Amino acid sequence: MTIATAISCIFWLAVAALLMGLLRRARLWSVGQSAPVDWLGLFAIPRRYLVDVHHVVARDPYIARTHVATAGGAVALMTFVTLNYGFGLNWSVLDDLIGLAAALMLVGVVFVWLRRRNPPSRLSGGDWHRLPYTLAAFALGIAALVNLTPGSVLSLVALAAMILFLAGAAELALGIGAGGPMKHAVAGALHLAFHSRPERFGGGRSTGLKPLDLDAKDYGIGKPVDFKWNQLLGFDACVQCGKCEAACPAFAVGQPLNPKKLVQDLVAGFTGSSDLHYHGSPYPGRAVGQHFGTRDCAIVPSLIESETLWSCTTCRACVEECPMMIEHVDAVVGMRRHLNLVHGEAPGKAADVLANLRETGTQGGYELEHRYSWATGLDIPVARPDKAFDVLLIAGEGAFDMRYQRTLRSLVKIMKAASVDFAILGGGELDTGDLARRLGDEATFQRLAKDNIARLRPLAFQRIVTPDPHVLHSLRNEYGALGGRYEVLHHTALLADLVERGDVRISRAANRRTLTYHDPCYLGRYNGETDAPRRLLSALAFDVREMERWGMRSRCCGGGGGAPLTDIPGKARIPDLRMADAKATGAGILAVACPQCTSMLEGVTGARPEVLDLAELVAAALELNP
Amino acid sequence: MRYPHIFTPLKLNQLVLPNRIYSTAHAEVYAEAGGLPGDRYIRYYEEKAKGGLGMAICGGSSPVSIDVPQGAWRPVNLTTDRVVEPMARLAETVHRHGMKIMIQATHMGRRSAWMGDPWPHLVSPSGIREPVHRGNCRAIEIEDIRRIIADFGKAAARVQRSGFDGIEISAAHQQLIDQFWSPRSNVRTDEWGGSLENRMRFGIEVLRAVREAVGRDFCVGIRMCADEFHDNGIDHEVAKEIAAALCDTDLIDFISVIGSGADTHNTLANCMPPMALPPEPFVHLAAGLKSVASVPILHAQGIRDITQAERILAAGEVDMVGMTRAHIADPHIMLKVREGREAEIRQCVGSNFCIDRMYTGADALCIQSPATSREATMPHVIERTRGPKRKIVVVGAGPAGLEAARVSRQRGHDVVLFERSAAVGGQINLAAKAPQREQMAGIVRFLDLETKRLGVDRRLATKATAGMVLAEMPDIVVLATGGRANLDQEPAWGATEGLSVSAWDILSERIAPAENVLVYDAISTHAGFGVADFIASRGATVELVTPDVKPADDAGGTTFPIFYRRLYKLGIIPTPNYWLESVYAEGNKKVAVLRNEYTDEREERVVDQVVIENGIKPNTEVYWALKEQSVNRGQYDLEALYSAKPQPVLGELGGDGRFALFRVGDCLSMHNIHAAIYDALRLCKDF
Repeated sequence: MTIATAISCIFWLAVAALLMGLLRRARLWSVGQSAPVDWLGLFAIPRRYLVDVHHVVARDPYIARTHVATAGGAVALMTFVTLNYGFGLNWSVLDDLIGLAAALMLVGVVFVWLRRRNPPSRLSGGDWHRLPYTLAAFALGIAALVNLTPGSVLSLVALAAMILFLAGAAELALGIGAGGPMKHAVAGALHLAFHSRPERFGGGRSTGLKPLDLDAKDYGIGKPVDFKWNQLLGFDACVQCGKCEAACPAFAVGQPLNPKKLVQDLVAGFTGSSDLHYHGSPYPGRAVGQHFGTRDCAIVPSLIESETLWSCTTCRACVEECPMMIEHVDAVVGMRRHLNLVHGEAPGKAADVLANLRETGTQGGYELEHRYSWATGLDIPVARPDKAFDVLLIAGEGAFDMRYQRTLRSLVKIMKAASVDFAILGGGELDTGDLARRLGDEATFQRLAKDNIARLRPLAFQRIVTPDPHVLHSLRNEYGALGGRYEVLHHTALLADLVERGDVRISRAANRRTLTYHDPCYLGRYNGETDAPRRLLSALAFDVREMERWGMRSRCCGGGGGAPLTDIPGKARIPDLRMADAKATGAGILAVACPQCTSMLEGVTGARPEVLDLAELVAAALELNP
Repeated sequence: MRYPHIFTPLKLNQLVLPNRIYSTAHAEVYAEAGGLPGDRYIRYYEEKAKGGLGMAICGGSSPVSIDVPQGAWRPVNLTTDRVVEPMARLAETVHRHGMKIMIQATHMGRRSAWMGDPWPHLVSPSGIREPVHRGNCRAIEIEDIRRIIADFGKAAARVQRSGFDGIEISAAHQQLIDQFWSPRSNVRTDEWGGSLENRMRFGIEVLRAVREAVGRDFCVGIRMCADEFHDNGIDHEVAKEIAAALCDTDLIDFISVIGSGADTHNTLANCMPPMALPPEPFVHLAAGLKSVASVPILHAQGIRDITQAERILAAGEVDMVGMTRAHIADPHIMLKVREGREAEIRQCVGSNFCIDRMYTGADALCIQSPATSREATMPHVIERTRGPKRKIVVVGAGPAGLEAARVSRQRGHDVVLFERSAAVGGQINLAAKAPQREQMAGIVRFLDLETKRLGVDRRLATKATAGMVLAEMPDIVVLATGGRANLDQEPAWGATEGLSVSAWDILSERIAPAENVLVYDAISTHAGFGVADFIASRGATVELVTPDVKPADDAGGTTFPIFYRRLYKLGIIPTPNYWLESVYAEGNKKVAVLRNEYTDEREERVVDQVVIENGIKPNTEVYWALKEQSVNRGQYDLEALYSAKPQPVLGELGGDGRFALFRVGDCLSMHNIHAAIYDALRLCKDF
């Protein structure tokens, strides 16, 4: 048998193994619920891979270059092997190219190996530590084989090269079927094709939760099979790089959540396995090796404990960091929905707050009329159907908080100074239901949303302005699916606009004070708005010092997703961590733009920067005409 | 949501008030000649508006008729159209900050001193003299009644024209309307007296005239007493009948309730409850009227704390709480509450410095807050300096020194505060030892908390010397070293021989009171009676001797009645009009030689102990040691000081080791707490 024939045989054997593995894997994915997918997505894979995925991966230049070399070399190598040995072209130039590609791949592999000699804690070990060796074997083996004098496989050198090649090919071909590390290549590519939020590709954004069809008794995710099939596929794409883990605020303070392990546990669930083979960081405070499941078994508590799910702040930092574009938050909320709607689970204060929302339309159980008590005497008109106006101001739950009323008063002062034509709903404003939705109480969310939509329908306004990014998100990104479509502005966008257009004059004289700005998750990551607040701050002439984590990669204050209510214990508190970030900048002011962030960060004790909303900063600099 | 009840808006007629706290009508004594609100008056109310107060009622006892003397308390003169323009300026000013404003209108009837412009013959339902104000009067006639009712209507129209948000008609504190109500002052037998219906006729006619003048939508309220505490006065049940009947007329939008009559010295002291009374002493009376009223019930009297107000509102006892003296002490209460800065509120202690001054015809000033009603020159909020940062050393942590340290620190300077004692507060700590006067300590509490919060470098239990002061390399030295008991003024008192001891010795508990004690009070303010009370409360027999015409002669109209309640209860023997000449020993007894001011006759008392209150003598040691080295030789530029301008010497300081030296408070000469704090503020605001 010649070497060429042997390569050819191994190639076709590998292709067969790969296809069988893929078939086996596809059967596992197919236990999930049907989801409408666009088969043309297959053709979009290269672009999604080279643009969207690369955009995420490029944040870490070391691994980006390493992956370009390794994966690029491997893909080129396999292409040339396919042409030369799969289709039997037997061009010597292709052999040369195989050698070149193998060299490129080897360079990448060396850097993979280097990184894994002293890996960051977020990286999983286990099978993944094998990868540099098997990949090197693959590249070395094939390069040696094609460059040996054509002849028998029986020479010692040839035999050795053949064994290396076989070992490498096995890693590549069996990975998908056996669930080895290389399954990420196939599952990752298919995940890009059949992603549950294809709107994200090409620079788009898709962050709104999808409504449940409650009439069809869809009550969320109780078992692995309740996920959509393409969500399961997505979990399989995970490379266990742990970028999510490093970004997760709950993990950082020792709450029992690790997004990477969550995804791996879900993989263990739908493949009928356990976390015995998991070699990454645990859920803090929880042992590894005791979580198991099957596709038809309830996820909670044997596969994932409910505390894990209730630790999430839904901040999307994991999603933002994930190079495989996995949707962790959809999974968490999906499972919370089941816990809440089916089992009535709502830990800590969450149950009371949900009851309040159901019974009073406020989180705190207040009378609706009191939402705008703070505005008494400020002469703000209450919206009426017979009078058209420009801006509807929606204050949200923060309106009941005396601290936050200062922000609201400041906002009103600026809007009045700018002669904005605005009105409020007064006692007619119900909670948007955002919090209920994050806590999994989809029924209460939908009821509140439909009620609000009905209340807004008769009013003739142009835009909604809210200082609460959570209100903004639900109105802008989630009400649409229930029939409420509005132009919604965050107050920072409105203020930046007013200042830039000269509708209000602000004094820059008082400033040059040092300041750092905390991006609210629901404004930044959920809505991509990181620029307007910074434009405002530069107009106010502050000496802005960014924290290490800012903008789209900002760290959560701990206030999202109902986490302050479920209050799952950890070793520290998320707001303390975030305040430490702020203190590290040496700034005297911590600027915020969200009622949750305000109360979480202002709740931090001890010496710390002053917490002020952007509206307060603008109002203080306002030059009022005499 | 904190303070949910306070921040629940209240609707009064068409007015919607943002919160349930307001400032009631009181005699400010700030109006300018002719009874017109001027700059000082407007600034005083503007400060409350800036401080986030929802509503103020100004102009306590503002007369609607020209036969009410206006000299003594300088009320707002509602009898003339000239008042409309300045009132409009007042309304416009406070409206800019979102505060609503009303004014109290009244005819005082017999409740005035007749001697004074326009030397009127006072009118009252039955011509019975009013004791407190020596109100000799004649019985009102029908023509007077018609004239005054018409005057109320005209005055109300002026109030409305000036852009005010409402008017409060006073039928409290024994004004003409409740002089008609009360059987004490109304023994008529015609249709204006006799039955309650007849006695109420005048008030209802007044309200009708007012309502006719201002229309249905203007806010009109009435202030009334819910129990006069006199056997022949209006009791609570009658007050409830009156309140219910007033509501039935549909003429009023609110009732403001007070407890206690006010036409004797002893009842008058209840009206603005001094610190001796329990908190909120009369809220139950307001709640009683609320049980029969169909309009909101407003109530003030001894409600000084925001949580107290919240609790009263939460209990549903009243609909709105007046915190008037509280806002005199700190006009920014509501702002601080809204901002979560409750600990920074300068809380009223109920010393009644403000109202006791008014009863001498002086303007209302706050014992703690010298900026109140001096807004044109004195800041309530101390801004950081834009000039150089300085090193300031303050010696002495009594009220003057604490205020100097607080203000200097808020100006942004480095401040070192030396205090010999382990605790701050100086003489206030002694004042608070007297029975019924414990709450004086609240004045220290605020200054203590603020100097700590602001980061003043406080060196307590450290007796400063000139060397220690200079070692700090100060730019400015402020001496607030106070004084010590002034017993060596008269060697014959035998203090050095131990024949007599000072009030300080007793109040500081350095010396225990004996069983049979003569207290000699040469000053006649609060300290002398305080020490007598302190000793008598421990079971001793006490004779209180003073050369003045009566004990505690300068204690003020709402304070001396409290002292006299104690005096008679404890059996303290009052001996006014006697000087203490000398003390000598006889065995283990002391013999005090007294001399009558008017007869020069001498008397002797054999007692166990002679306690003397003779004020203080300034502590000047550090001053004399530093004076010559200071740039200004310890002197003020008095012209700059009295016109609230910066001391010129401040411009000469260059951080080169030269320093300016000032004294504030009692280390200059004996003043009082207000004066000490004012000394410090007016100096340090410009540092």
